Amino acid sequence: MHTGRLLLACLAVVAACGDASGPRLTFSGSDVGAEGAVIRAQLDRFAARHPGVRVELRLTPDAADQRHQLYVQWLNARAEEPDVLQLDIIWTAEFAAAGWLRPLGAPDDIEDFLPAALEADRWQGSLYAVPWFVDAGLLYWRRDLLGAPPSTLDELREDAERAMRTGAVSAGLVWQGARYEGLVTVFLEHLVAFGGAILDARGRVRVDEPPAVRALTFMRDSVTGQGLVPRAALAWQEEQTRFAFQNGDALFMRNWPYAWALVQDARQSRVAGQVGVAVFPGADGGRPAAALGGAQLAVNRYTEEPDLAEALVTFLTAPEQMLERAQAAAQLPARRSLYATDALAAALPLPIDEIRAVLEAAVPRPVTPVYSELSELLQVRLHRALTGQEAPDEALRGAADAIRDLLARTGLAASDPPAPEPAE
Amino acid sequence: MRRDATHADARLARWLVAPALLVVTGVALVPAAATAWEALHRHDLRLPWLGTPFVGLANFAEALGDPRFAAALARTMLFAAVSVPIELACGLALALVMHHLVRGRAIARVGALLPWAIPTVVAALAWRFFFETSDPGGVGWLTRPVAAWVPIVAADVWKTTPFVAVLLLAGLQTIDPALYDAARVDGASPARQLVTITLPLLAPALVVAAAFRTLDALRLFDLPYVMTAGGPGTATEPLSLYAFVALMQRLRVGYGSALSICVFLLALGVAMAAVRALGRAAPGGHA
Repeated sequence: MHTGRLLLACLAVVAACGDASGPRLTFSGSDVGAEGAVIRAQLDRFAARHPGVRVELRLTPDAADQRHQLYVQWLNARAEEPDVLQLDIIWTAEFAAAGWLRPLGAPDDIEDFLPAALEADRWQGSLYAVPWFVDAGLLYWRRDLLGAPPSTLDELREDAERAMRTGAVSAGLVWQGARYEGLVTVFLEHLVAFGGAILDARGRVRVDEPPAVRALTFMRDSVTGQGLVPRAALAWQEEQTRFAFQNGDALFMRNWPYAWALVQDARQSRVAGQVGVAVFPGADGGRPAAALGGAQLAVNRYTEEPDLAEALVTFLTAPEQMLERAQAAAQLPARRSLYATDALAAALPLPIDEIRAVLEAAVPRPVTPVYSELSELLQVRLHRALTGQEAPDEALRGAADAIRDLLARTGLAASDPPAPEPAE
Repeated sequence: MRRDATHADARLARWLVAPALLVVTGVALVPAAATAWEALHRHDLRLPWLGTPFVGLANFAEALGDPRFAAALARTMLFAAVSVPIELACGLALALVMHHLVRGRAIARVGALLPWAIPTVVAALAWRFFFETSDPGGVGWLTRPVAAWVPIVAADVWKTTPFVAVLLLAGLQTIDPALYDAARVDGASPARQLVTITLPLLAPALVVAAAFRTLDALRLFDLPYVMTAGGPGTATEPLSLYAFVALMQRLRVGYGSALSICVFLLALGVAMAAVRALGRAAPGGHA
């Protein structure tokens, strides 16, 4: 009892100290490399525009899984801080459905944001986050071995086979084949290339349908059949893929924009100056696709400063701040209008025309509160198929059944709006 | 008088034991009970709108019908059945060598213990780099369902053989050298001495080593977590790793707790069997 009162008194003192200089906002997000400096400068600028307001940066782990775990613990305990959260694009629906985020008023210029990113920020009709920066899967290709990037998956395979036959490279294509989230993004690009989907717009599971089987079969055959993709890649994440490509071992690499500056750096890369980027091509019945990643900004439901927090989100997602971030950290802005500006073309190390084409092909991953479990179920079955433990159709049937069970168990099965359809 | 003294002694003993009991209660019993309580609820951190209703044994029923759980359980037991005998055999050989060394005993023992002193995660990373390759022509050990077990078992044997060896060395040193002298006088070969003197008298130490190693093997987690993350597919996913996935990645607190309780019960069963075996193997023990 006494300790309790003492503790309260201490808290009151601490709180009083905190209040001495007016309202306080905390922002939690990534602090890696150049990101830390630019976000600190921007938070200071926001504070300068709002006299009396203090803004603090709350550091969180860099690893996405760990940051996610920490956020869930905080929000589940109804912590009032951080007020503004940097969310990975695949978390927004989960946090919104859990009631942990404040619905946001639509920005006046909402049309300017990339539609695929906005799609991931809406849950049951309301907006819960604003796109901040985006990431998209790219096809890196060797200009010294090829005149132009392939425009279909068949062409990609032929180019790769030819380059391997001549002995120019030991691998045709390298991608992230380890059993983790990256594998789902690689699969998504193949899936859309063949015209498939994981979930459809109504939330029905489509991942066991013929286009999906064709996509996974293509990936499996790339590894086992022609040996286009090295077997070892089934244990690779982004960095191992980059090492193989920059050592000159592969004709194509599927990777994120971060790899550009590194593979073009002559101090560490044998292919510096000989690399191009393009969108991952489509196949029959589908279209070129780039899996969409990136970060969003959202407001904690339990914040004590909702208006100020929303103002910070608006400030950070304004064109000037996005441009500054692109210059400092080479992250792609989430606003379409910026891609028409010379300022962005000058700021980004990547070729802007190709990036614009890639973003037009951007595909979000399924928007559902149980995405991470859905993804894990899919990863296991994809990896079993790729490592030859299951046939592609069998693996996808297993994944689809498990995902349907998951959606049914959590009450998210597709039948809610608007009128239930009879079961097929 | 004497009765009072005994009584006072007993009271003192209770007071002396109390702190230890308190610690055990605080760090072992309370968390285990809390986990067991969670296991009886449907509790999913990501789906707070479902609440945390009491569901009885539903989580355990789900585990029984979950093929991934059954496969993980079988895999865990198979790992213990393969790795523990190898570790005992290697540990015995190492202990015999150290026991018969005339010179450089201290150095040999320190050297032999080194792998045991390295944190498992560090050892696992080292073994992973050894087997993993960013060379496209690599074999891809970690991408093959059976081959992926080779680095895991190798790392486990490499790391825990010293532990077994030191335990057995202590056992060897308690055997009366006169027994070997007598055997030599009777003309028994070294092999015969090993089978009729060393192994029977070493039995208690062997049982202890086997029990410790089996318990550890059944809780296998860090080696596959670092080396394969349970892959390819789930081919190297032991029970503890699956419980971790359910609990920490999917944030299904109820189901993950139920899986953890299963690991706990498995280990408890083995520990009880080991205690009985130890009673039998101890000199003068009864069956």
